[in-house]
Amino acid sequence: MSLQSTDSAAPGSVQDLLSRAAVVAVDLVKIYGEGEAAVRALDGVSLVVPKGTFTAIMGPSGSGKSTLLQCVAALDDLTSGKVFVGGVEISGLDEKERTRLRRDKVGFIFQAFNLVPTLNALENITLPMDLAKKSPDKKWMEYLISTVGLGDRLHHLPGELSGGQQQRVAAARALASRPEIVFADEPTGNLDSRRGHELLDFLRRTVDEFGQTIVMVTHDPFAASIADRVVFLADGRVVEEMLDPKVDQILDLIKNLES
Amino acid sequence: MWKLTLKNLKARKLRLAMTALAVVLGVGFVAGTFVLTDTMNASFDSLFSDVNEGLDVIVRSESEFESQLGGSRQPVSESLIETIRDVDGVEAAAGNIQGYAQFVTDDGEAVTTGGAPTLGGAWYDEPQGSLVIREGEAPVGPGEVLVDAATADKHGFELGDTVTVITQIGPREFEVSGIAGFGEADNLGGATLATFDLPTSQELFNKPGQVDSIDIAAEDGVTAEELRRRIQRVLPDGVEAADAQEVAAEISNAIKEALGFFNTALLAFAGISLFVGAFLIFNTFSITVAQRTREFALLRALGASGGQVTGAVFLEALVIGLVASAAGILAGFGIALVLQVMLEAFGIELPSQDLVFLPRTGIVAAVLGISVTLVSAIAPARRAAKISPMAAMREMAPKVSGFSTRRTIAGLLVTLAGTGILFGGLYGDIGEPAQLVGAGAFVTFLGVAILAPLFSGQLANLIGYPLQVLRMPGKLARRNAARNPKRTAATAAALMIGLALVGLVSILGSSIKSSTSRILDESLEADFTVATGGFAPSFISPQVAADIASLPEVELTAPVRLGQFRRDGNNTFVVGIDPVSLEAVTDIDVTDGSLASLGDGEVLVHGDVAEELGIEVGDSLGMEFASAGERDLEITGLFDNKSLVQADYLLAIPTYETYFPEKVDLQVFVKVEEGVALADAREAIDGVLEGYPALELQDQTETKESQAEQVNQLLGMVSAMLGLALVIALFGITNTLALSVFERTRELGLLRAVGMSRRQTRRMIRWEAVIISIIGAVLGLAIGLFFGWALVKSLESEGISELTIPYGQLVAYVGAAAVAGVLAAMPPARRASRLNVLEAISTE
Repeated sequence: MSLQSTDSAAPGSVQDLLSRAAVVAVDLVKIYGEGEAAVRALDGVSLVVPKGTFTAIMGPSGSGKSTLLQCVAALDDLTSGKVFVGGVEISGLDEKERTRLRRDKVGFIFQAFNLVPTLNALENITLPMDLAKKSPDKKWMEYLISTVGLGDRLHHLPGELSGGQQQRVAAARALASRPEIVFADEPTGNLDSRRGHELLDFLRRTVDEFGQTIVMVTHDPFAASIADRVVFLADGRVVEEMLDPKVDQILDLIKNLES
Repeated sequence: MWKLTLKNLKARKLRLAMTALAVVLGVGFVAGTFVLTDTMNASFDSLFSDVNEGLDVIVRSESEFESQLGGSRQPVSESLIETIRDVDGVEAAAGNIQGYAQFVTDDGEAVTTGGAPTLGGAWYDEPQGSLVIREGEAPVGPGEVLVDAATADKHGFELGDTVTVITQIGPREFEVSGIAGFGEADNLGGATLATFDLPTSQELFNKPGQVDSIDIAAEDGVTAEELRRRIQRVLPDGVEAADAQEVAAEISNAIKEALGFFNTALLAFAGISLFVGAFLIFNTFSITVAQRTREFALLRALGASGGQVTGAVFLEALVIGLVASAAGILAGFGIALVLQVMLEAFGIELPSQDLVFLPRTGIVAAVLGISVTLVSAIAPARRAAKISPMAAMREMAPKVSGFSTRRTIAGLLVTLAGTGILFGGLYGDIGEPAQLVGAGAFVTFLGVAILAPLFSGQLANLIGYPLQVLRMPGKLARRNAARNPKRTAATAAALMIGLALVGLVSILGSSIKSSTSRILDESLEADFTVATGGFAPSFISPQVAADIASLPEVELTAPVRLGQFRRDGNNTFVVGIDPVSLEAVTDIDVTDGSLASLGDGEVLVHGDVAEELGIEVGDSLGMEFASAGERDLEITGLFDNKSLVQADYLLAIPTYETYFPEKVDLQVFVKVEEGVALADAREAIDGVLEGYPALELQDQTETKESQAEQVNQLLGMVSAMLGLALVIALFGITNTLALSVFERTRELGLLRAVGMSRRQTRRMIRWEAVIISIIGAVLGLAIGLFFGWALVKSLESEGISELTIPYGQLVAYVGAAAVAGVLAAMPPARRASRLNVLEAISTE
């Protein structure tokens, strides 16, 4: 198994499709527990995330949306199914290869506790590259730092930053190594609405201006409306997709799904 | 609260086990020392009551006190035996003689014991004592010897073999006539025993017509006390009749006292281990209280009082203390066995005896273990009580800072008090100096431990500075070591104690070595020294000095003898020398009077002692000798350099022989005739020494080396004993890091999620441990340097005039501490790298 990109594949081939999508997930099944107590968290989910798009995943709690994210991001093992990230199949990678994948090709934004408390904001942003012993792209860093808008607080420890600032640093960290894809798990969950909007704007701009690919799990219809597409999950299955979503459309759909 | 405590204990088994282990080791060491001591005492008691079994009364000359060097009693006339046999009620009476006698093995090596004496004695058939011939027959005539079973067994001596025995009159060959044991035991507390018939003994031990004691058995129906009184009536002045069992007890007590030093040393090491263990317990409780802030806050919010929270923590400590002490007492038996094996390695073999467990052992060990645990838990328990119910709502624990004015003041005061007590012990005249020094060191350690959090963060940053070359893992290791100064300081403090002591010992050792080396350079004008090798108490026959002196290659020999007398109730060393020859081989720096004119009944005194006692040349000095009682000697001179003679009082050999019955040399200095090549002289002297395998001929370099070797051996032993304290300190590092890993689960999960590899994770934890270890080592060695300096300065009058700091060795200790840190970090590092990333991130 190689992590090399496969850009040179013939047009129309499977390789070609895989290389044009940031993520391709085929028939993902994830079962927790055994026998009677077994729970099918994912029950045959397939998903293609094209490069340069912003995808939101929604669904009631227990619908499997976080599990999907974790499996696609190589944080958790699948029971069956295949996942390709940047054209490379990740199911079956060993621990070392997964670590490298997370470090080089994937960015993460969690709901909380995104920053290492002993590292200042700037150090947190460059953390994945430091771990990979790579030097950051200077222009990109300058752009990120100016967009994060920390100003003189760049050398402060996370404990000295507000929740909004912390999440923006986390977003910058996720984007710093220009990963194939950024996974965000309820990134605005702990923020008030104003700070939440700021963060979402920031994420949207990286997609529009730099062609970044983002997959975000959220239960907030407003947050989801920022995305290019919303994928609705229920009981471990994809039940609905919506392109260019608006808040009220999303709310309607949720109502329909619930009834 | 009780239920909650038990549940908490159950929930954290591993941490508990680690905490308890520190107590178990410390308590085990204490209990082990007691068990061993009691076992030894019991075995010596039974052994010596056996020795005089069958005897009722022993007649010997009176003695003012027991010298630790032996030879405190003058012999009595052989004719007394007949006198005593005539006393009504005497069943049998026989003369006994004791002296130095050392076997030589078939390959020409002297048999050494490593501690116990090498004894010679006289055989008698009647009365029947405890020495029983197992094989062969009693020795008869000048050519036969009876060998103790242990020696015979160990060196393959068999009936009819010819063996060489060295006594004070030189080596001689004997035929083994028999092999004997003491009842069940093969020897007497590790001592070797060569037994001859009485006339041979008198010749070998240079006591013509005399015996050291007369052993007497009573007729049936006559009590020992009655017979003792009857015999006393026929004895001349200065000779006493003593109860045989009382004499046995006396000997037993003397041996116990001699080994008492060993027990005290072991207990001191046990105390150090417990002290180090206390830091570990304190630290574990502090960390867990901090980690359980939310739990305690919730309890408070639910209505628990501060006192109840404190009580819960105390209860945990009590349970740990109880369980660990019980385990420690059990472990004590094992440790006692290990110590016994170590003793045997030094040649101190104990007669077979079941381990003795006195109630005192259990009580002292349990009280120590429980109280150390409870005292260590006081501060964390009080902190737990101060947690406000509001803390339950807070997201994160408040930031920990090491700095506080109160801490600074308290730390400085305690440190100053500690050093004050230390210097009081070193220079003052109050109380027991050794105990004061120990207490001073203890308090100083506490003081520094209180101060350490003030600067441990900065120290961690400084020490971790070079780690930045390791990029992110190194950087994080450095920050982690610095992020909680209190925790880092307490963890490092445990290691600090061990390393301070190891550092002190090595500074003291190299200072002693360099001082003696310089002294030998400056004041030893002898070309060779004849010495007994190693620790074994062997002696040199005066014949050796005489034979060497008669060689044409040799100008003269200067023998030195050692004895003890008593002044103001203290046993004090005195040295017997030949004034003329001593002057030729060394400069003792006579400041008043002269050495050469030192005559009979006169004494030379060290200048410092004379000043202390307020005496001067011409005064008379009262000296109490064991064999002769109080005598007044005239002071005819003062000297300042005692580095070679090693005593404050010098007597001429004739005077020495008046008061000390033993006629053996401790050391002989040899000066070669001018113009004779040293190699030639050596060959000639070696010829004389051929028959004395226990003796070593050393030139000046070798003398220095052998002195250094002895110091090294002692240092090695002390350092090995300190090893346990170091091991406990390393457990402390493992424990702290394990708790930190647990506490940082989410952070570790995050790091792993954003691409930290397992290897990088392990490296991060490992280097944190290395930083903590080095902090401990650096602090410890700094204190060790200070202690070493203070101790060496205070020993200046003892001839340790040079402070030598073994920098290379100290740096090596820091390196060793770093390596130990790597080892200590292995379990927590492994755990951290194996965390399930997903679970770690979602941990609350």
